[in-house]
Formats: sequence, C-alpha cells, structure tokens
Amino acid sequence: MLAIEARDVAKTFRAGWIRRRETVALRSVSLAVPRGAIVGVLGPNGAGKTTLLSIFATLLTPDRGSVTILGHDVVREAAALRRRLNMASGRPSFLWSLRVGEIVAFYGRLYGLHGATLARRVDELIETFELTTHRRAQYNELSTGLKQRLALAKALVNEPELLFLDEPTLGLDPDVSVRVRAHIRSLRRERGMTIVLTTHYMREAEELCDEIAFIKDGRILARGTADDLKRQIGLGDVIALRVEPPAPWLRNAPGVLRCADNDGWVRCTVDDAEKRLPELLRQLYAEGREVKSVQVKEPELEEVFVELAR
Amino acid sequence: MSWRAEAVAIWAFAVRNLLMATRNVFFFFELLFWPIVGVVSIGLMTRFLELRSEATAFVLLGTIALSVVQVCQLEVAYAVLFDVWSKSIKHQFLAPIGVRHLTLGSWIVGMARGVVIFLILAVLGWWAFGVNVIAPGVGALLAFLAGCFLTAWIIGVGVCALITLFGNRAEAFAWASANLVLLLAGIYYPISVLPTPVAAVASLIPLTHFLDAYRAHYGFASEFSHPVVIGFGLAAAYALLAHLALMAAVRHARSSGLLLKMSE
Ligand SMILES: Nc1ncnc2c1ncn2[C@@H]1O[C@H](COP(=O)(O)OP(=O)(O)O)[C@@H](O)[C@H]1O
Ligand SMILES: [Mg+2]
Repeated sequence: MLAIEARDVAKTFRAGWIRRRETVALRSVSLAVPRGAIVGVLGPNGAGKTTLLSIFATLLTPDRGSVTILGHDVVREAAALRRRLNMASGRPSFLWSLRVGEIVAFYGRLYGLHGATLARRVDELIETFELTTHRRAQYNELSTGLKQRLALAKALVNEPELLFLDEPTLGLDPDVSVRVRAHIRSLRRERGMTIVLTTHYMREAEELCDEIAFIKDGRILARGTADDLKRQIGLGDVIALRVEPPAPWLRNAPGVLRCADNDGWVRCTVDDAEKRLPELLRQLYAEGREVKSVQVKEPELEEVFVELAR
Repeated sequence: MSWRAEAVAIWAFAVRNLLMATRNVFFFFELLFWPIVGVVSIGLMTRFLELRSEATAFVLLGTIALSVVQVCQLEVAYAVLFDVWSKSIKHQFLAPIGVRHLTLGSWIVGMARGVVIFLILAVLGWWAFGVNVIAPGVGALLAFLAGCFLTAWIIGVGVCALITLFGNRAEAFAWASANLVLLLAGIYYPISVLPTPVAAVASLIPLTHFLDAYRAHYGFASEFSHPVVIGFGLAAAYALLAHLALMAAVRHARSSGLLLKMSE
C-alpha cells in the first residue's frame, strides 16, 4: 500500500505583475512512497526539495501531474488529508511572543484536541522533546536547537500517519543531530509512521532512509536504496594512495569501482572503505610496495551530483 | 467537522489573539489611549464650537463608533497579520481548518475589546461631555454595536484577503481602511453633506445605516427608511463576499507559492 503516489508533478513559480519572472521548481517528478517507509529527498539548494514536500503537504498546488496521498487526491481532497499529516521544517518559525506550551496547544486545538486530551498531549510532547524547562519561555528566546525540537513537537501534535521533515537537522550541532535522527527512526519503529524528509547531507539520507531520491533542477535523477544508488552511479568512499612503485592492478581489485591518477596519487572509489582498505594494504605490502600515504574520504554531495548530471 | 471541532478551532484562534494581546506593548495604546484621546479631543472641539447637546451627541457617537470598529477590525486582521509578521502562516493552513475559524476566533476577541472600549468611552462621554450614549435603550444599543462589529468583521476579513493576496505590502490596508470609513460612513457629519456620488457610496456602507438609526434616537431625522434592516442586509451580503474573497485569496496563495514565501 502506497502512502504517496506522485506522477509527473510540475511546478513553476510566477512573480511580478509587470515584468513576469518565472522559476521552474519542479519539471516532472514521479515518486512512490510505501507506507511505513522513510524516504529521503536529497539534493543541493534550490533543487526543488521544499517545493515537492510542500505539494505533498497541501501547502502548494501543483501546476500539472497527480498526487495521491493516503488514498486522497492532494488538491481535491486536501481537507480530509490535512488531519492525517504534518510537517516540520529545520528553519522553523512560530509566533514570537507565544510560549512553548502555548504554541503546541494552539496547533493541537487546530487539530480538534481540547480539554484533558489536549493537556495530556502537550505534556507528552514537551517531555519527549525535553522542553520541560523551557515550557514558559517565549519562542523568540529559544536557541536554534530548541526551536527545531519545538517544531518537531508541533508536527506530532495530531499523531500524523505521514510526516514531512524539511531539512530537520539543518544547522544543528552534530550531537543534537544524532539525537534528532534517533528520534526520527523511533517514530517509524514505534508508531509505524511514514516519513519523507529532505536533506542535503548525504550521510543523513544514507543513515535514515530506506530509499533515497536524488533531485536536482526539479528532476529526480536517481532513486533507490543507498547501496543501489552507489552501485548505479558508481558512488562510494574514496581511498587515495601514494604507492611506490605504482600498482596498476588497483583499478581491477575487488570492490574498486574506478580509479584516477594524478600528482602521484591514485584515487580509488570503492564500495566500502572500511572493508577494502585493509585488503588493499595487505596485498600492497605482500608485493613489497611502499605505501607512502593514505587518505580515506567520504564522497561529497558535489561529487554525487557531478556523477549524476553526466 | 463536528460542532465541537468547529468550536475548538474557533476557540484556538480566540485564545491565541488574547495571549498575543496581553504580550503586546501597544495593547494599552490600542485599547485605551487612542480611543480616549479621540473622544476627549473631539469632545473639547464640540465645546469650543459651542455645539448644541444633540450635535455633540451626534459627533461623539460617530467618534465612539469609529473606535469600536477600528479596534475590532484590527483584531480580525491580526488573525493573518501575527502570522505574517512571524513568518509562520503556513502552519495554520497546514491544519484542517477553514478561514472561518480564524476570522471568527479573532472576531470574538475583537468584539470583547470593542465592548470594553465602548463602555469606557460611554462613561467618559457621559462624565466629561454630558452625552448619554446608552439612552436609546438596550435593543437599539445592541443593534448599533452589532452593526459596528459586523462592519469591523467585513473590513478585517477584507484586509486579511488583501494581505494573503499581496503579502506584507498590503499591511497598510489594516490601518488605512479605518480612515476610509471615517471619510465615508458619516462619522462626524450626516452623509447628506457629501457630494451626491460620494453619498451614494457612503450609503453602501453598513455602518452608515447603523449610525443613522442610532442617531435617530437623538432627534436626527433618519436619512433612510429602514436603516437597521438595510444595514443588516448590506452587512450580510458583504460578510459573504469578504469570506469568499479570503477563501479565494488563500487558494491563490497556495497556488502562487505566496503562502510559503510568507513563511520563510
Ligand atoms: N514560494 C516561492 N515563490 C517563488 N519561488 C520559489 C518559492 N519557493 C521556491 N522557489 C524557487 O523554486 C526553486 C526550488 O526551491 P526549493 O524547492 O525551495 O529548493 P530546495 O528546498 O531544494 O532548496 C528555487 O529556485 C526557489 O528560488
Ligand atoms: Mg528547501
């Protein structure tokens, strides 16, 4: 059963009354998200990630194409859909002078909660996201991390079946990001929630998502599990070596996807550096070659897109 | 939506506007200072001009009506303005609510503030200038206040629609609209003094009729045959139009991307 089925979705933003400006945000995007999955939409800035998520969340109507979410058409049956989904953004904003508890309660009421149910839900969420000591703090006094946690709390106030997260760890300290990611995983594990998130961190997508869609210039360029994609586009960790004398067999070694030479360095793209590096080193030593330096590098998003754009 | 869910969603906006009102430094000015300055300065002017007591009542009633309409209208406009200022408007349209919830919820708070202002100004008018603004009796008074509040709702929702359609640029309408009412609805003068075409426009404003009806109790011949009926009729028509306009504006903002743009 699919949570989201999008076909040929296109969106162009038009602005200006006298001089019309057009920005093509989505060209023709098709995407299917199974229920209970965590799917990542990965892409550089301006790729169309937020636009796509906003269309799924009924905040933006597509120009063309069809989107069915939880069995409802996203335009015609938006009202029925809204109570079953929610969204949080890594760049949240709420009413500046309202307090943390008041913000969660306000949105809770918009989803029909009231009385003791509302109070209980607000308490739970504030506790879950460790906002208890900030409950009476006004929104504009919160740090970035707290704002993001509040945004997540608000996004869960209606216990959505489908959750959209737009760059949920944007600008967070690494340790906070780790906690947020752990929480995202637990939402799926404990509540079976379907989650679609956008990110421009390769690692984040890889770590969290069952499936990743690479998007660039309003088009999905590749889709699949992290491993599928790496295989598909020959993407992996890079092991850079300086070896004396050179070992031409490196490019044909198991797990090596491709190799490039320059300035005395051999840069081998491998499927898994942790596994391949010891193997390669062992063989190089066995042949009596001298390994002068070694560097291991995770693939940069830029490289991913250079690969994909070809 | 069940009746209870309807009420809860409306209540959500009422609570929010109330909370925001208590956090707003200008709350005091909006609620007390400007309206009181208005009534005192106009009242003193009527003294200087040595107006008859009925004429004083005429002008002060207009002043009070303007204050009530303005404060209630602003409160309705806040339903959208608060979120535009905080760049958080998308969250409320992500929720399963209709525009009726936000306009009615904020209108409830607007009416509460309107009643408070009316009472304060009524006491002031009576104490400082000897004008008894509640003399016409409960029925007439309720019709008059209802007229003020309906006019305020219509203007407020219209302002919400303009802001939703044009973004922050349209904010000025929130404050400018009251001056249009001031000019056209016969606040300080009977609309018969206006040039005919302008008077025709004035007679299309509900508040004109409610003021006319209320002032009749102070001995001013009514300019309309059934001002209260016409006033409510016009108000109902405009209320529907304003509501539809706001719905259309939200729909447009969803398709143009302005809803997102105003939230980033
Ligand atoms: N509300 C909007 N109005 C006008 N243009 C927009 C709007 N939102 C996004 N865009 C434009 O659409 C393109 C895609 O943006 P977006 O979906 O936000 O990208 P991403 O989230 O991947 O960074 C960009 O060129 C952006 O400037
Ligand atoms: Mg984005």
